Amino acid sequence: MWKDYSAGFIKKNKSSSISIMAAAFISALFLSLVCSLFYNFWIYEIERITTEEGSWQGRIEGITESGISTIENFANVEKVEINGSLSEGENIVADVWFQDMRTIYSDMPLITEKLGLDSTAASYHELLLSRYMVHDPQDKTPPLLMTFFIALLIVVSVSLILIIHNSFAVSMDARIHQFGIFSSIGATPGQIFTCVMQEAAALCILPVLAGSFIGIAGSAGTIKATNFFAEGIAGRHEAVFQYQPLVFAVTILASLLTVFISACLPAKKLSRLTPLQAIRDAGELSLKKKKRSRVLSMLFGVEGELAGNALKAQKKALRTSNLSLTLSFLGFTVMLCFFTLTGISTNHTYFERYQDAWDVMVTLKNTEISDFQQGEEIRNLQDVRSSVVYQKATAVCLLPESNMSDELSNLGGLMAVSGNSIMTSDGCYSVKAPIVIMDDEGFEDYCEQLGIVPGTDGSIVLNRIWDSINSNFRYKEYIPFVKEEQSTITLQNAAQPGNVTEIPVLAYTQEPVTLREEYDNYAFVQFVPLSLWEQISGIIGNTEADTYIRILGKDGVTLSELEGMQSEISQVIQQTGSVEIENRIQEKISDNAMQKGVMMIFGAFCALLAMIGIANVFSNTLGFLRQRKREFARYASVGMTPEGMRKMFAIEAFVIAGRPLMITLPLTAIVVAFMIAASYLDPMEFLAEAPLIPILIFLSAIFGFVGFAYYIGGKRMLKCDLTDALRSDNMM
Amino acid sequence: MEILKCDGVKKVYGCGDNQVTALDKIDLSVEKGEFVAIVGASGSGKSTLLHILGSVDKPTEGKVIVGGVDISLMNATQAAIFRRRNVGLVYQFYNLIPTLTIQKNILMPLLLDKKKVNQEYFEQVVNSLGISDKLNFLPNQLSGGQQQRAAIARALIYRPALLLADEPTGNLDQKNSKEIIDMLKLSNRNLNQTILMITHDEKIALEADRIVTIEDGRIISDQKRR
Repeated sequence: MWKDYSAGFIKKNKSSSISIMAAAFISALFLSLVCSLFYNFWIYEIERITTEEGSWQGRIEGITESGISTIENFANVEKVEINGSLSEGENIVADVWFQDMRTIYSDMPLITEKLGLDSTAASYHELLLSRYMVHDPQDKTPPLLMTFFIALLIVVSVSLILIIHNSFAVSMDARIHQFGIFSSIGATPGQIFTCVMQEAAALCILPVLAGSFIGIAGSAGTIKATNFFAEGIAGRHEAVFQYQPLVFAVTILASLLTVFISACLPAKKLSRLTPLQAIRDAGELSLKKKKRSRVLSMLFGVEGELAGNALKAQKKALRTSNLSLTLSFLGFTVMLCFFTLTGISTNHTYFERYQDAWDVMVTLKNTEISDFQQGEEIRNLQDVRSSVVYQKATAVCLLPESNMSDELSNLGGLMAVSGNSIMTSDGCYSVKAPIVIMDDEGFEDYCEQLGIVPGTDGSIVLNRIWDSINSNFRYKEYIPFVKEEQSTITLQNAAQPGNVTEIPVLAYTQEPVTLREEYDNYAFVQFVPLSLWEQISGIIGNTEADTYIRILGKDGVTLSELEGMQSEISQVIQQTGSVEIENRIQEKISDNAMQKGVMMIFGAFCALLAMIGIANVFSNTLGFLRQRKREFARYASVGMTPEGMRKMFAIEAFVIAGRPLMITLPLTAIVVAFMIAASYLDPMEFLAEAPLIPILIFLSAIFGFVGFAYYIGGKRMLKCDLTDALRSDNMM
Repeated sequence: MEILKCDGVKKVYGCGDNQVTALDKIDLSVEKGEFVAIVGASGSGKSTLLHILGSVDKPTEGKVIVGGVDISLMNATQAAIFRRRNVGLVYQFYNLIPTLTIQKNILMPLLLDKKKVNQEYFEQVVNSLGISDKLNFLPNQLSGGQQQRAAIARALIYRPALLLADEPTGNLDQKNSKEIIDMLKLSNRNLNQTILMITHDEKIALEADRIVTIEDGRIISDQKRR
């Protein structure tokens, strides 16, 4: 049958064959691309997390040397390592890896119990574990990013599989009539099944393989493009393309299985029909139940009703295009709105806020501020207007309730504003007190800026707290934290509450020093000079690993001047270990490029999704002659004019292209309203920057292509002789 | 009064060696209120003639005048409008629109013309054809005989000058065939409806007032019975 029938049929029905091949190719391409990208994203996330935070899964504090072997002997433990940087003397901290990490949340308490430790001695690498979909059963709000991505992957994959299925099934359904003829002349169901399978293999194997390979190449290209766009981002872990044969096997298997099932369906349908019923099945559009197209009928008259009913009858054939066009337009619109809002938000929270806070930032990795000696040299560089070297540390401050400012008390006190501060037993609040340790010169400059006598024997207190009752986080208003009565502040070691020290207060201020820093909303920030820190560091400790240098250039400094400054600074600090230097203008450019890159990748994805939908519309309209000739012959026989038929085609095209718009607009409005509400942005600000032009272009392209598909299909229909269809019994 | 006149109508399909002459110089005249049966073997050209008379096809040569208007000169739009107003077509396989209810199918020619429905006439037609209880059904929910009655109702709804029926009983059993012919006769007598019916069944042809026989695209006999 292959030689005598199928091969010839494929050759003679090029448009139908090409549409199946195109659907198989595009769907396999997308499936492969999406699966490969997801796999690479997952691998990248794990690499990034392990590089930044280590690959440990569980961590136990406060164990002894002998405790290590107890942990090693636990059945599920793969290995144990002593964490040198966190261990202090007898107090050993051990990092633990498990053979099966899924039971970590039940195993760790058992281990600590065996060690005679409290369960709080155990901590978990929650971020890393969440990437393996291992969540703390007690956690009511576990990190669900991975779950979200997996759900998204499944939805996209199922949609793509449906596209292959629909394209194949629709074409095969239309063949029932021919298979009925075969059956009537004695072809066995087995022969027909073989014929269908041979056609499926001939049409789909090569496109599926080609699509899968190109999808993998596309994924490699996407990663290369991402690296290119993100090149300027300091400290970013570069992605390396990786592939797993299992991903390829799953992609190919899913595609081929879909083709197989889709090809089986008409064979199954045929087995339920008598040859005569099959011969009479011309795949003509019909409705099983009475339907009314009220809106179209009201708007466009009888042609509107006919078009509406025809669309309902073609529902199955148009499912792919409806799904892909709607998803693509929705994805494109939401993506653009999301990036517009992100851009506005980033401008507010970062670029505008830090516009004058820094020009060049240097991060001295794993360097104590006291070990850095080139501060003066940098300060004296030609183009440097101002420079501050600083390091951050954490401490706790005990603030008596009576010392709270009147403004804060009027709002109901600290608990009313922050909701989470801890009241200690003796009427004091235990509040986080981040410490910014500044080089002495920078600190003295700050004193001058505040109008106080420069000195290095006390701290400047940032005396402000966010009024969360009367303002939102986007447009924060501050009130004084404490009454400015105390001349000293008591600081406590954040890890060891017994270590306490008292330091003099030089001034209270509501103006922080201009650094590229954002401070906790309810923290009591201290700016201290290095000289003072050297005296108290033994008690307070808890410094962060890195030291920073904030440098400001001349007013209106240009990118090339900043780059020149960067190279001069590099020369000064070349002896210092690992260093990262960023400049503000370059960062803005890189951020824009990164955003454009992400938008391009998402945009291309949406455009390709739209192409699938449009390809489906084309394959449908190219099949008009076969499927709808008799329908239009009937309209002609009762006196419908060619203009009436054109009107019908136009209405159908309008509905197909307009449906994504009708679904997308309200959904986008809801999503955008939600995003605006969540980010506390001014809706008018969004409206002024709403991405209307790209959305209109995308929509016009959908309307244009769908209209063109209907123009071609309609033209062919109106050109052909409809009279034969009226008397041909096999068109029944 | 002459309602239809064919003058030297010729229809040729294909070209060169593949040329087939379906109709060859047909001259035919039909008076208003006549019931004419056109008979002939399969491939004799009778369906082609009916399609040309119904303006769904065009002659290669010759004139077709219906109610004094030459329909062979009309363009597609003019022909469609003429068809919906002046010609009712009934086919062997009904050709009802499967996505519309029977009522909408019957009213289709009026709806296309944005004309108001004469409710009294509509009820008269559907009652006389016995389908008044089937108006809200879809075509595929009815039997063949019921579908053909609906097709006749649609053909009559505009009170056309000509009712053209192409093997209207070809797909029906004997009982239904008789009923359909009786209905055509009834409309011919009661409404003075001019009917041209194609059939290859001699028994059914005998029900008509006049029998025209076609062979190889030519009229070989034209007998008036009454």
